[in-house]
Amino acid sequence: MTLPPEAFATALAGLPRMGPARLASVLGARAPAEAWASVLRGQPWPEPEVRAALGADGAAVQAAWRSAALATDVASVWRRLGDSAVGVTLPGTSAYPAPLVDDIEPPAVLFHLGDLAAIAGRRVAIVGTRRCTATGAGVAHELGRELAARGIAIVSGLAWGIDGAAHRGALAAGATPPIGVVGSGLDVVYPAGQQRLWDAVAESGVLLSEAPLGAHPERWRFPARNRIIAALADVVVVVESHQRGGSFHTVDEADRRGIDVMAVPGSVRNAAARGVNDLLAEGRAPVRDVDDVLIALGLTAATRHRAAADPRPPPLEADRAVLEAVGWQASSLDQIAVRTGRSLPDLAGALDRLCAARWVRREGGWYERTSAGGG
Amino acid sequence: MLATVSSATLVGVEGCPVRVEVHVSSGLPGFTVVGLPDATCREARDRVRAALLSSGQRWPSQRVTVNLAPPATRKVGAGLDLAIAVGLLVADDQLDPGCLVERAFLGELGLDGTVRAVPGSLPCIDALTEPEIVVADGAVVEAQLVGRHRIRAVSDLVTLIKALQGAIGWPEPPPPPLPWPLPPEPNLADVRGQPAARYALEVAAAGGHHLLLVGSPGAGKTMLARRLPGLLPDLPRPHALEATRIHSVAGVPLPPGGLIRRPPFRSPHHGASAVSLVGGGTGAMRPGEISLAHRGVLFLDELGEFAPVVLDHLRQPLEEGVIRVSRAAAKATFPARVLLVAAMNPCPCARGGPQGACRCSPQAQQRYTRRLSGPLLDRFDLRVELGRPEIGELMAAAGGESSAVVAARVREARARALSRGVEANVELRQRQLDDVAPLDAAAARLVEGALRAGRLTGRGLSGVRRVALTVADLASDDPPLGGDHVHTALALRCDPSFLAGRVA
Repeated sequence: MTLPPEAFATALAGLPRMGPARLASVLGARAPAEAWASVLRGQPWPEPEVRAALGADGAAVQAAWRSAALATDVASVWRRLGDSAVGVTLPGTSAYPAPLVDDIEPPAVLFHLGDLAAIAGRRVAIVGTRRCTATGAGVAHELGRELAARGIAIVSGLAWGIDGAAHRGALAAGATPPIGVVGSGLDVVYPAGQQRLWDAVAESGVLLSEAPLGAHPERWRFPARNRIIAALADVVVVVESHQRGGSFHTVDEADRRGIDVMAVPGSVRNAAARGVNDLLAEGRAPVRDVDDVLIALGLTAATRHRAAADPRPPPLEADRAVLEAVGWQASSLDQIAVRTGRSLPDLAGALDRLCAARWVRREGGWYERTSAGGG
Repeated sequence: MLATVSSATLVGVEGCPVRVEVHVSSGLPGFTVVGLPDATCREARDRVRAALLSSGQRWPSQRVTVNLAPPATRKVGAGLDLAIAVGLLVADDQLDPGCLVERAFLGELGLDGTVRAVPGSLPCIDALTEPEIVVADGAVVEAQLVGRHRIRAVSDLVTLIKALQGAIGWPEPPPPPLPWPLPPEPNLADVRGQPAARYALEVAAAGGHHLLLVGSPGAGKTMLARRLPGLLPDLPRPHALEATRIHSVAGVPLPPGGLIRRPPFRSPHHGASAVSLVGGGTGAMRPGEISLAHRGVLFLDELGEFAPVVLDHLRQPLEEGVIRVSRAAAKATFPARVLLVAAMNPCPCARGGPQGACRCSPQAQQRYTRRLSGPLLDRFDLRVELGRPEIGELMAAAGGESSAVVAARVREARARALSRGVEANVELRQRQLDDVAPLDAAAARLVEGALRAGRLTGRGLSGVRRVALTVADLASDDPPLGGDHVHTALALRCDPSFLAGRVA
């Protein structure tokens, strides 16, 4: 049985010390089957781009490749892939996602779980910190939901925090299949706690990865993953980011590709918003609501100035002052009590009524105002 | 040839009368102590011999056997020294047997014949029924607290022998030490702002509800906790005696006058071992910190840093108010009715809270949360999350109410609890709650909603009702409990998820 080129590419991607750059150089130099044979022979590569990718440590890397390759049976690797629901595409094939074809660093091998057709339409990447505030998660959720409702696919990384919230929003809209890009093999759920989100995205949209089955989420895979997120996006929106947080890597990759980066402004007191505020200071476009993103995409913002009817029952007259005092930043009971000057028994009733009517959300001992959509 | 002397030893924090039987007979010279003495007690023979010789007495060159009855109880410490010495003198015919009648002896001997006080004098003396008790000068204050006995204080063996022979009168007990004023307890007026946390403190003091403070460093958790004892009323005499006994046994210095009138405040470091917290030990059973805080406040700062297994030891005593320690050698029951106050950071990096500044990985945060078992968390009916006070609060010229003002309200609330037959509302049983704390229609609806939303469990419901009752007591409202009382109780009880990561 002759194996297809994808089988050899998959086997190559599974070798140790085989990053995206080395894989791209090796597969750029030779056809997959031929490259595999060369790895098995272990002789030095004459091609200058491969030598450059191998770097100073080339001999050791090649030795590692060779010993791993000798222990690898390409046919069984291919069978294992075939037994799973994961598919693989190579550049130059018709199935390979169009936005990545002309990319400056296209993935040399791309694994997918789900339907690649999800990548056909307009796409917005929503990224941000894992350690976000409730407000940040709410904004990411809202943007994800409203963009998806308008037929725009959400690209994100399935991480905790902003990434996950954006995808949950997109799934809540149930309108446009989401796109998830991950740093581990498609059978290694990371972070493990996101299993349900992972399954839901694969079910309704598509999950992409450069890593072969069984690959662990090593640290170096995440910057490479961020580059794919940037490459897939028409616009990158950063919702909350710490100063020089991981999102900045996505921003840098977007800049290299000339893709617009937008940022959601945050409070100057919010540590999780330092990074986005820095982006705004650099002159990036702010995202105040979904319309700002739609305008950046060149779509008309039909909803602007349309005051949405708030479905929530209006707060009691007496509770309005408390609602004002809660504000859009999480506040402790102490802070609200100081701002309103009311006694605790009086205040507790007002807050419980506001929570019940969904004007305010309580999380532990903190209270925060919410918008109509619950974000 | 045989003498029987009354004395006492300690079993846990209780005194236990001991009959010291001394037998002097012909035979190979020797000295044996039988009747389950511990190491310190066994060494009595060396101390007694040296003390007698130093006091100019004869040491019988005969066979001496000392039996400590009841023989099944372990005798701890050096408090039986004095009784052994006197018994030996009587058995050796150097003293008249009549001097042992209606009299008990308690004290440790120095090699020069000095008589010293032993830890736990108070419970030992309390256990004795003889009308007259001879103790060391240093034990007089504790002995007089019991108040049932005629107390004879001696400073050394020579004086004692002379007094027993009738050669001199009993020496006057030393004058009580001049009372020095207790250092003032920290005042609640020092706390700026933070009305909710202050209120939680007031509710904890009034109802005896355990309080958990969660907040980043600088939020004032420790400052608040230290002000809690100042809100509690003076201990009534029976409680004061209970606390004093425990402190006496543990050898903790007692206040002037000997009686602990203010609720004790203990704050063990988070490196504390299980034994140091709940009591025990290999030889003598010593009370732990939770017993030293009996009738007062046990403050566990940095709760998340305590070893989880150590914390879980606290669950049973918090429920029952006593701790039963069993070891191979002995068993003891220590009183442990405390008001538990704990403080912890929201996460290991301590920057947590809603401001998004936390730098902990979700795993680290989960590990931190897991250190606190659900059942222990359930014991806290008041759980308050603190933010750092805002600048405006810190700069406000006026502090809040002083401890005295709040303590007056607490006293009134406790008086209401007393009329229900309990010290504080936390002690109300489930059954009593229905009688003394019925809910009105609005409150019942509210509680039902909280149960349905999963914010409350069955145990949590009783806790909320107790706290709501205390809130009503503080406001001098009569049952049934109204919506506002329950609202407040719910606001002061963050759901357990507040410790879990806030991420996604």
